[in-house]
Amino acid sequence: MINRILRFSLIFVLLILMQVLVFDNIRFGGYINPYIYVMFILLLPVEIPSWLLLLISFGTGAVMDIFCGSPGMHTSATVLAGFVRPYALRIISPRDGYEPGADPSMLIYGLRWFLIYTSFIILIHHTALFYLEVFRFADFFRTLLRVFLSSAFSITFIILLEYFRKGK
Amino acid sequence: MRNLLNFLAKYNNLIIFLILEGISFYLLTTGNTYHNTQIVKGVRGLTRGIDERISNTRNYFHLRDINQALAYENSSLKNNIYLLRNKENLQFIPVSDTNYKQQYQFTSAEVVNNSVTRQKNFFTLNKGSRQGMAIDMAVSSGAGIAGVIVSCSRNYSIAMSLLNLDFKVSARLKSNGYFGSLSWDGKEYKYAVLSEIPQHVTFGIGDTVETTGYSAIFPEGIVIGTVNGFEKSGGDFYKIKVLLQTDFKKLHFVSVIGNIKKKEQLELEKQFQ
Repeated sequence: MINRILRFSLIFVLLILMQVLVFDNIRFGGYINPYIYVMFILLLPVEIPSWLLLLISFGTGAVMDIFCGSPGMHTSATVLAGFVRPYALRIISPRDGYEPGADPSMLIYGLRWFLIYTSFIILIHHTALFYLEVFRFADFFRTLLRVFLSSAFSITFIILLEYFRKGK
Repeated sequence: MRNLLNFLAKYNNLIIFLILEGISFYLLTTGNTYHNTQIVKGVRGLTRGIDERISNTRNYFHLRDINQALAYENSSLKNNIYLLRNKENLQFIPVSDTNYKQQYQFTSAEVVNNSVTRQKNFFTLNKGSRQGMAIDMAVSSGAGIAGVIVSCSRNYSIAMSLLNLDFKVSARLKSNGYFGSLSWDGKEYKYAVLSEIPQHVTFGIGDTVETTGYSAIFPEGIVIGTVNGFEKSGGDFYKIKVLLQTDFKKLHFVSVIGNIKKKEQLELEKQFQ
């Protein structure tokens, strides 16, 4: 248990650092800003209680907001992601259910499963985030394009990171 | 009770979710000026029509007061004309250009929304950038100064009232010309405070306080109010309590004052700063 908490704390710190130091500096013409810190919400154990998941999401978003200087923006998007995660897991659950004590990782459930799972939550998170950022419905489709492009990049990076993690 | 507990147990996730989202939306709208103004804009858009209707009705009931104020202003203007006409040698001043003498342009506007109860009060005028309003134009009522325009939409503008902690104007005592800075202390809507007047200056209660022309916003010599009382502040200065001439609770028709030569003055001053 303690071991697990330590491991997830390490993942959290690494992901936030990567996001702030590397991915926040990627800006292709203002259209692509990948947010990979959401991966932390994706990786938490399947059996985590929902209230704890929501609180962790809130904390993660708050930390991102502190780094980005945008109070509330990442927080609300990440809390939404944490809220839909249990539903996403239920919809795409494998035929014989989840193994007790398992993490939702690519190693156990395969690339296809992980891709669907990631895309689902990343799309919801990015939609919320980008629309909150512009905060109006003018330029609706421009924002939508940003959502899709950034999501595609975030998903790609998360899959790559997951490969890397699996190799360890 | 049990039903309530059952309900809470069943929807505890949703409730936590809504609470956390509520907190983050609160942070979003209060922490970011952009999001805040978007929300305020939306709400203003909803309430503006109602405000205008209320203001129209109220004005109808106040017509007598308004007429009186206008008559008073007219008579004082007539006095001024009379004084000017009787000035010696007026006919020898050559005016080759109509722009030559005129520095300030006056436009009338109506206050459609006003407050005096907050610490940072603003009022809304029914004219905007389409009618020639611009940011940093001065607003005065018939009696004295009222505020400064801080934001314009196409048909409305918002003015920072003198009754706003952020409002500062350069003011002087009419009797001897010593000037200081006038601001509101947030206490009573009838009084403002004139500070930075040195203690060797002599003046009496009831002396007029008026604007200086230093800020390029207000023209020189617009009445602000009269001295109501004073106390010593710090070592060398007086803090003078000024009874405001403008009754901010009855602000209806105001004139907006644009300074035609402001840009020129500011550009010149900028070279030496």
